[in-house]
Amino acid sequence: MSKREMRARLAALSFTEKIRILEKLRNRSLAFAASGMRPKIAETPGQAEDEKQRLRKEEK
Amino acid sequence: MPPGAEPVKATLDLINQMQADGVIGKYAIGGAVGATLYLEPAATLDVDIFVNLRADPGGLLLSLAPIYDYLKAHGCPLKDEHIVIGGWPVQFLPLSDDLEREAVAQAISATVEGVSTRVMSAEHLVAIALRTGRSKDHIRILQFIEQNAVNREKLQSVLERHGLTAKWKQFERKFLDGSHE
Repeated sequence: MSKREMRARLAALSFTEKIRILEKLRNRSLAFAASGMRPKIAETPGQAEDEKQRLRKEEK
Repeated sequence: MPPGAEPVKATLDLINQMQADGVIGKYAIGGAVGATLYLEPAATLDVDIFVNLRADPGGLLLSLAPIYDYLKAHGCPLKDEHIVIGGWPVQFLPLSDDLEREAVAQAISATVEGVSTRVMSAEHLVAIALRTGRSKDHIRILQFIEQNAVNREKLQSVLERHGLTAKWKQFERKFLDGSHE
C-alpha cells in the first residue's frame, strides 16, 4: 500500500477510531517521556552539542 | 498505560457535564484534535476547546475562572496554560472574534465512543489555521487541501466574510502555486 493510500485509509476511519489512534500516539509519547528514552530537548545550540556528545558516549 | 493517559471520552464527558451545569455555553473542538475528524490522526498532546463563556450577571468581563473553579472542584489539576481533564491537557479558548463565534455556532456534531461532542467545520479549521499562521498550521492546511477534506467554495465564503482573502492568496502563492486548480 502506498503512503498516499494509507493516509486516505486512515482519514476515512470513523472519528472514534481516529481518536483511539490519537490516544495511542499520545500514550506512546508519554511512555517515552516516562522512560527517559527521549533525549533532552536542547534550548540552545550549546546544549544540543552537549546532548550529542552525551549520546555518543552512551553509544560507546 | 502511562500515568495520565486516559481516553478522550472521559475528557469530553466532563466538558459536556460542565455545559449541562451551565458553566459554559456552546463549545467546539478545534486544533489538531478537531482536524482529526477530517484528516488522518496526527500526534498531539492537548485538546483545544473554543468556548462561549457565560458572562456573570451584571458583569462586563468574561472570565475563565468559573471553568477552572468547576474543574478544580472535580479534581482536575492545572498544568501551565492547560487544565488536565481525564488525563488530557485541555486549553479553553474564549471566543475572541466573529470568525471563532461563527466556527462554534456552525460546528458539526460528532461522537467519540458514544459521547456527543461538537467539532469545527473543516472550512473554519482551515480559516483559523490560516489566521494563526504558524508552520504547523500551514502543514495542516496543506493536509486539508491534499486530502480534499475542505469544500473550496465554502472556504472562500468564510475567508471573504472574515477578511482573510488576501492572506489566503498569499498562502496559495507560497504553497499551492500551480497545484490547486
